[in-house]
Amino acid sequence: MDRSITRSFNSNSFNNVNNVSNFNTTINDDKAQVLQWLSPLEPQKRYQHLRESRLEGVGEWIFRTSEFQRWNAGEDGPAHSVLFCHGDPGVGKTHLR
Amino acid sequence: MTVAGLYCDYLDRKEQTTSNMLGAMLKQLVGRGNIPEDIRKGFEDAKDHFGGVPPQVPQVVNMLKTAIGQRQWVVICIDGLDESLPVHRAGLLKSLRAIAQEMPNVRLFLTGRPFISGEVEKHFPDVYSISVSPTKEDTKAFLRIKLDEDPEPEAMDENLRADIMEIIPKTISEMYI
Repeated sequence: MDRSITRSFNSNSFNNVNNVSNFNTTINDDKAQVLQWLSPLEPQKRYQHLRESRLEGVGEWIFRTSEFQRWNAGEDGPAHSVLFCHGDPGVGKTHLR
Repeated sequence: MTVAGLYCDYLDRKEQTTSNMLGAMLKQLVGRGNIPEDIRKGFEDAKDHFGGVPPQVPQVVNMLKTAIGQRQWVVICIDGLDESLPVHRAGLLKSLRAIAQEMPNVRLFLTGRPFISGEVEKHFPDVYSISVSPTKEDTKAFLRIKLDEDPEPEAMDENLRADIMEIIPKTISEMYI
């Protein structure tokens, strides 16, 4: 009994894998392959996780700093296009808004 | 405005090469629509002639410039720059400088530990720098939520709650001064 459940589960999941790969190659063409060629890294996943874990309102003070405002306004020219937020581990750099 | 982001991570530092890091940002810029022609051509060429080798840094930089040029504003965010390997980070900063110099519609938002300030300033002498430390209001917002989630609320009373809200934010802001 146990064995047959395992077998049917395995064959089901095998089918699912097949279906997924067929779907990717036919519908999405080779877009996934091209993106994978550009880079194997997937920072979007980490972003999703952090977005869900960050607390509303935390880190908003940065909008009120003159450095942020000047960087954001972009009035000082292209040489001033970089903002660097530095701090020790755990101060909240990752959770800046 | 389009935003592309990257998290440097000690655990991934071997895989986070300059090319992979730049490519990860390019992927976000082009991933939602059709693959631009220059990228598709690069991919096909690599497949046909070089057995599918990943793109080299100058090639990714060029593809990034093209993709950025097709957008109005692009903000590139890189978190934890200090966690990448120095050799990969140097290549990344150099590439970002080349991109920022040529593309007036790109802005960079970088974070990292203070010890890499010198490296960042070397590549971007006019960088705006902000020192990050937990503000009292951030700590209070965090505590308020944690106290609301308290699994044993019967152990809490108004005095204890008031003490927590007073003492912890004060201590934390003193720690980072």
